Amino acid sequence: MLNPIEVVKLVEDNMRRYGFPFPVPREAVYSWAKPLKLPERGPVILYTGALYQLTPYIASVVEQLSTIEGSRVSGIALKLSGILSSLGVSRLVVRPKSDMVSVVERILKSIVGLLERSGVKVAYPYEDDMYSGVLLYDLGLDELFKGHAVKVYKALKSRGAELIVTVDPHTTHIMRSVYPRYVDGYDLKVKSYLEILAEGGAEFKQGSIGGRVVIHDPCLYARFENVVEHPRKLLSTAGFEVLEPRRSRKMTYCCGGPIEGLTPRMAKMIAKTRFEELREKSKTIVTLCPICYTNLKAVAEDDVDVVDIALLLSGVKP
Amino acid sequence: MTFNSLQAYQEIWDALSDSEFQEALRRASTTSQVKVEELLAERRDLLELCREVVEAKKRSVDLLGELVERAYRSLEAVKAKPYYAEEAEEARRIIGSIVGSGKLVVMAKSMAAMEVGLRGYLESLGNEVWETDLGELLVQLEGSRPMHTITPAAHMTRLKAVKLISEKLGVKLKSDSVEEAVKAVREFLRGKIVKADVGVSGANALAADTGAIVLVENESNIRLVTSTPPIHIALVPIDKIVPTLLDAVKVAMVQAAYAGLYPPTYINIIAGPSSTADIERVRVYGAQGPRELHVVLLDNGRMKASKDTLLKEQLRCIRCGRCQYECPVWVHTANKWGGPAYGGPMGLIWTAITVDPIETGKLAYLCLGCGRCDASCPVEIPLSTILRHLKSVASRSS
Repeated sequence: MLNPIEVVKLVEDNMRRYGFPFPVPREAVYSWAKPLKLPERGPVILYTGALYQLTPYIASVVEQLSTIEGSRVSGIALKLSGILSSLGVSRLVVRPKSDMVSVVERILKSIVGLLERSGVKVAYPYEDDMYSGVLLYDLGLDELFKGHAVKVYKALKSRGAELIVTVDPHTTHIMRSVYPRYVDGYDLKVKSYLEILAEGGAEFKQGSIGGRVVIHDPCLYARFENVVEHPRKLLSTAGFEVLEPRRSRKMTYCCGGPIEGLTPRMAKMIAKTRFEELREKSKTIVTLCPICYTNLKAVAEDDVDVVDIALLLSGVKP
Repeated sequence: MTFNSLQAYQEIWDALSDSEFQEALRRASTTSQVKVEELLAERRDLLELCREVVEAKKRSVDLLGELVERAYRSLEAVKAKPYYAEEAEEARRIIGSIVGSGKLVVMAKSMAAMEVGLRGYLESLGNEVWETDLGELLVQLEGSRPMHTITPAAHMTRLKAVKLISEKLGVKLKSDSVEEAVKAVREFLRGKIVKADVGVSGANALAADTGAIVLVENESNIRLVTSTPPIHIALVPIDKIVPTLLDAVKVAMVQAAYAGLYPPTYINIIAGPSSTADIERVRVYGAQGPRELHVVLLDNGRMKASKDTLLKEQLRCIRCGRCQYECPVWVHTANKWGGPAYGGPMGLIWTAITVDPIETGKLAYLCLGCGRCDASCPVEIPLSTILRHLKSVASRSS
């Protein structure tokens, strides 16, 4: 277990330096979209909030934190006294997991493809696809969060945004339900791409692709943003039989992700509980969130597929 | 009372390696979740009852100062003796002066007693003190603290419990059957209860209109503790005061349902000490039940919280422990994720109100923000929102 105060300080320090909770090069957020040559401004903007792109880095950081958490110093396993700061921010070398980087790129490209196929043209703000600051909010760093939120809002407005299309539950929640409380005059409409696809009546018939899949509702979609039926509708029209785990919809169970930076060990225990529950129903687990994806994937056994919904809807065989 | 978040983190870390602890919690929480889910699916009327309790509790929190005064007068009217304790220490002192020393004291499970450190204090005055709720007794014998609000020994396996009973109570058990252990405890505690000088209880609710205390239970130990000894002391946190007796009974019913114990075996209503006027209509106190009823109203940060826009929401809490059993973190930590008395989602907030918001905030970082607690709370407390707020309190302080 790591000293939460130290973890918070680390996140604060990195945010001020890099605009991310840990050192990440700016281009890592938007390089996936370069070959797509999407318009850079417009009323409908695809805003990823960088969460998908950060997951290969998060996985790398968590791996390092895990080593610190697991090591034994002075007979206790708690790393509560200055170890993180003595390591120094610079010592936390963050190399993204390369296999994850390519999965993330495929997911994001699939989302753009799905939107196009249902007739929704989006602009993409490239350099202005900034991190949403969701972790700052989650850690209660309200002042820092507010300042960051104002910056993100201005950048999106400068690109002509009226409606922003989000791709993950954390960014959807923060942009739709939290930003309005922190940013004066906030007037962006926010929709998850799953809502847009489902409400637009899009059908992605995948013919032989179908199969039995178990759905893992992310907490924020299910309990805070009422995105529950949309993914089910999309999956079933695409020919999948959607199975429900014991705890689903409004009472879905967390993947453990939010505390992986503080205690990778307990986060993993939570993920394992959830994984077991899901795989009782099917060997194909559908996730709707990059954090859920990473955490469930990390504890999944080889005979179980954890697949992002965008890939399934795009016709990637699980 | 103080506590240190780093020490709590150390305890949590150790608990993660304790396979017996983990297994007991996994079983207890799964059983409880399924049971309550089935009950609520079958009894939709309970959801209506919840809504009524939410409304009654909201009114109560808004009128807290006034309700305290009304309850005070109603208690006097039924010949109970009311006291107001602003802090934990004051509550201990008041109760200590009623009990004195060299007495035999029996306690019905009370988290408020845990909050003020009552058992240890009464023992330090030279009294013999016994918990009579089985789970609470196990915790007493283990020398630990309650790991869940309703089921204090949720972290113990059957084998552990049976071992504690046979070793610490010095009773010879022929097997490790739960039935035999319960029977042994029953005999042991009956011996204490009939001889006890003082019975101490908490309360699920206190009705301001009548001064009636409502207590819900299944073991019948509360009945015995509040009616057998000549003196009954009830320690009642002021957030438990509701406008009417009907409101108070509704609180007890909802609490039982969300704890998975429905219908509750017993609901006790106690309005004043026992009395009789059967001879020439002369009222004499102390018939078969207690001749004295002392009611200590405990503030300990609650009045202040009632004026805070966010913390006031917590004062609706009816201590059903639902949020604990539903929380993915609590299932691995039990109340070790908490302060000296309370743990888990609602318990952290109670710790912030009654002990220390900053140290609690440091513990709140473990909250996933997943909102299962919010979704399962019968009185609609925005627990995860308050926990996030506590994180910001801790972040600002460092």
